[in-house]
Parts: sequence; C-alpha cells; structure tokens
Amino acid sequence: MMAWLEGTGLATWVRESPSLWAYPTILTLHTVGLGIVVGASAVVDFRLLGFARRVRLIDLSPLFGMMAWAFLLNATTGILLFIADATTKSRQPVFYVKLSLIFVALWCTFATRRIIREGNPAPGAESAPSKGGRLAVLSLLLWAGAITAGRLMAYL
Amino acid sequence: MDTFVTWLQATRLSQAIVYNTWIWPACETLHFIGLALVIGIVGFFDLRLIGFFRRVSVNAARELMPFAIAGFALNLSTGLVFLIGHPEQYAHNIAFWYKVGSLALAGLNAAIFETWVGARTVHVGAGDDTPLSAKAFGVVSIAAWFSVLVWGRMLPFVGNAF
Repeated sequence: MMAWLEGTGLATWVRESPSLWAYPTILTLHTVGLGIVVGASAVVDFRLLGFARRVRLIDLSPLFGMMAWAFLLNATTGILLFIADATTKSRQPVFYVKLSLIFVALWCTFATRRIIREGNPAPGAESAPSKGGRLAVLSLLLWAGAITAGRLMAYL
Repeated sequence: MDTFVTWLQATRLSQAIVYNTWIWPACETLHFIGLALVIGIVGFFDLRLIGFFRRVSVNAARELMPFAIAGFALNLSTGLVFLIGHPEQYAHNIAFWYKVGSLALAGLNAAIFETWVGARTVHVGAGDDTPLSAKAFGVVSIAAWFSVLVWGRMLPFVGNAF
C-alpha cells in the first residue's frame, strides 16, 4: 500500500521533480499553514490566559475561519509530503506522535470555539473562564509538541 | 566575506554547534515555534491595521506584541546559532539574502510606523476604520514577514549551498 502510494505519478513528481514548484513549494506552503494555524491559535490562547483583556473573545471569532483554511492547506500539503516518502514516513513512530498531537490540538480548538461562542461575554474587561484558560495552556503545549514532532521527522 | 566565513567555522563555538547533534534540531524546533508566534501576533495586528477585526481597537490589538517580540528574540538567537554553525551555507545563498532583505523591510516598516503613523492610530477605537497610511503599513508588514518565512524555508533548495 505505502509502496504503491510512493510509486504513483503524483508522489514521484513531488519527490523527484527538480522544479522549485514541487517539493520545495509544497514544504514552504506547509510552513505557511503552520504559521497561520499555530499563530492564530496562540492569539486566542493568550487572550484566554488573560492577556489583552480589552479584546473581546467573541471579536476573535474570524481567526477560527483562518485556522480552518490554513489547516486545510496543511492537510493537503501534508498528504503530498507523506505520499512522496510513504514507506519511510509510515514507519516513523514520531509521525504518529505528530498526528496524535494534531488531533488532540484540533479537539482543543473546537472546544475553545464552543466556549467563546457560548460565553458571549459582555463588552469591557471580563476575565477568561477558567476552563478556557486550561484549554489555552493545553492548546499551546499541543501545537508546540506537534511542531517539535514534525521537525524531528527529519532526524529520527 | 569568505575570510570571515572560514574564521567563523574555525571558532570553538561553531564547532560545538556542529558536533552536538541535538543542538541543530532543537534550535530548528524553537525557530518554528518563534515563527508561529511572530506570524500569528504580528499578522493579527497587521490585519487590524488593514481594516479587519474592526470591533477590536488598534490599541487593544497590539497588547499581545510582547509575545511576538519574544518569538522574534527566539528566532534571532536560534538563527544566529545556524549562522555560526554553518556560515558557508548562508553566505552565498541568494535565498538567505532575500530573507535578510525582507527582515530589514519588516523592521524599517515597523520603525517608521511606530515613529510616524503609530501615534495617530492609537486613537483608532473599536468600530473605527484605519487611515490609508496605516493600511499600507499593515500590508507591507504582513507581506514582508511571509517573505521572511518563505525565503527561510526555501534556503536549502535555492543555490547549491546545502
């Protein structure tokens, strides 16, 4: 299965094309998406932890839409990067660590969005709900962990 | 330049970075975490300057900036580790110089904004639109930072240095 994936025309193009538009651009887009997903997530998380209290949580809602688009970009580019090297990557434990961390981080993001939507905080300086604070710490740690696991895929 | 590169490579610090196998991956990981902080927090402020997130006042949107500065400090220090470790990979790589140029543009843009336009946007409250000049600074900033990211990631693929 992995060998077949790796042998497809698309996977071969990603892996072997000398064009900068193949592997280098796909990898770069994966990093762009990382910056948007984790960066936008961090903005919400720091707010939930009590920083920038003058920003109402509900006004940060559009960030979730941006995260969704960037996540879609990274799922797509991630699949392309995976199939290009499927036999090796499917045997790397750290790859499964990365995937697991991302899934839990995504759950965190959805839970955070639910809290923000239901919370409907009044204008002015309100303190973040403590459940939101715990989710924020978890989210920051999980995304940092996912980045670490992703980077280590090149080394382990 | 080449004399400097050769001298730097011979320093103990440079050799320590290269011979400790965990230093490079650890710094890369921190570099990516710092990248996310800069892109997310500066990007959010830039989008407010451009006219998005209008219900957030400009002053409130910049309150997270210390985290972006922390992310940038992290990336400046880990970036220096890469440079000291393998100066020969960067000195003649055009992508590296595009990255440095983009960084300079982002820095200059921020400096001019802070000294010239910043004072006027401080009063842009919730619901208010930003002046055209502020929008221009937001666009340049966001473009410059993504350019820093793109050329940094493209480094190993442009030229034959790596």
